[in-house]
Amino acid sequence: MSSILPSGRGTPSGARDVATGGVRIERLSKQYRLNDTPFTVLDDIDLSIRPGEFVSIVGPSGCGKSTLLRLIVGLDTDYDGEIRLDGVRVAGTGLERGLVFQDHRLFPWMTVARNIEVALLTQKLPRARRERLIASHLELVGLTGFENAYPHQLSGGMAQRAAIARALVNAPKVLALDEPLGALDALTRVKVQAELQRIWMEAGTTMIMVTHDVDEALFLGDRVVVMSARPGRIARIVDVDLPHPRDRASPVLHRLKDEILAELTTEPAGDTLVPFPAKPRAPR
Amino acid sequence: MTPRIRALALGCILPAILLILWESQARRGGAHAYAFAPLGVIARSFAAMLGDGSLLRQAGASLQRALSALLIGGGTGIFVGTALGIWRPFERAATPLINTLRQVPILGWLPLIALWFGNGDGAKLLLVSLAALYPTVLNTQKGLSGADRNLLEVGALYGFSRWQALRRIAWPNALPLLFTGISQALAFAWIATIGVELLFSASAGLGTEMMAAQVAARTDILIICIACVGAMGFAMNQGFAVLRRRALRWQPARPQ
Repeated sequence: MSSILPSGRGTPSGARDVATGGVRIERLSKQYRLNDTPFTVLDDIDLSIRPGEFVSIVGPSGCGKSTLLRLIVGLDTDYDGEIRLDGVRVAGTGLERGLVFQDHRLFPWMTVARNIEVALLTQKLPRARRERLIASHLELVGLTGFENAYPHQLSGGMAQRAAIARALVNAPKVLALDEPLGALDALTRVKVQAELQRIWMEAGTTMIMVTHDVDEALFLGDRVVVMSARPGRIARIVDVDLPHPRDRASPVLHRLKDEILAELTTEPAGDTLVPFPAKPRAPR
Repeated sequence: MTPRIRALALGCILPAILLILWESQARRGGAHAYAFAPLGVIARSFAAMLGDGSLLRQAGASLQRALSALLIGGGTGIFVGTALGIWRPFERAATPLINTLRQVPILGWLPLIALWFGNGDGAKLLLVSLAALYPTVLNTQKGLSGADRNLLEVGALYGFSRWQALRRIAWPNALPLLFTGISQALAFAWIATIGVELLFSASAGLGTEMMAAQVAARTDILIICIACVGAMGFAMNQGFAVLRRRALRWQPARPQ
């Protein structure tokens, strides 16, 4: 993986206005109906994300963190409250909001280059410009030379970087990342985290990343949102006041990690705890 | 010895044993020589049929019939299967009828079609097309309705229209099953071609030739025709498999 920053990256919008990409979430609640009983996934979420910020979200399973991302990108539009991007209420999906899934979701029948092109298909761009954008984004994620490879020929880390290139190629103002590195092995994961930090610093896109890994959340995030489950609420927001690029060995990160882990593990579990054995054994 | 040659040699053992048994029967003389034409006689007839072009003519007629029917029946099947796969009301309305009709063997349609259209080329083409129809309908439908929801979500994310989602996601996603459908249709069409030629013995074709050979008690010609039908079916199957591999080269290699 090259550590040399590629330069001259072209985006459809050219040089981005630094003031765009702010997300405001107000009084957001989301309910599912499970066998006719309403089930609250997200409860009264308020969160303001600055343009260009990197926000990590951590929390136990079932705290609705992935659902929150789906609401932001508009794959799910059934909720109460408001989500605004630069002051405008979001409605449905839109190219200004991107999403990277946990599984890369590349189309297996397309090469890497054609997969990245998928994100550009609804824009009327001249072919030469499209190809330039694809090439520059392949360079951005370090996949130059793999444009004609099919997804099954890539390693997990490479496929996920291709997915990141696809998500960035139409220059979204906000990029949501749903456990983007969750399927990678530990070593690859650390490498791609550094890549992601570099890409974020270069692209200047606002990024909101859901993860299970507190180290990852702290290494990348300007802020870490800690959520609690049932119903999904924001328990705490941790500021990570360290400049990027960061040093993993920083004592600040270690101290914050201990705090967040304490928050996540001492959370009152109450009725969610199942006594063991579940039932006292019936007397013979 | 490369594995390829080894496999080829292995595949030749059983046919060789069959030929030896055949020839030993033929040499027992009398009725045996009549039922089992000696290999020498078969070879001479084969050379004669190749020489006067009759074998090529008959085989060509059968091949043309099977492939035109594949085009007509398969094309219709892909169209109907697509409609079934993407349009729920149509699927609900048509499925009971289709599931009933496909229980009728192709030969079951033969008397009715003969009554309506006679026993000419049109009637044969219709029957063989019907044989190619069902597998393509079913596999196209299955492929489209089983489109990967996760990939469709990617389309939604990038603002795909319904048409774009069909053309760029659902269709390519259904391609492996579509190829399965076409390869089944090819096999069914070939079987049906020989079948209708045997039963509607008019105009050219290997089946017609076989009926004529039976009447003339020419075991040698029968054997040549049977071998021809088998070899051509095998060759078409292999050719299609190559086509399939090329079209689906994006699929991860599966253990053979």
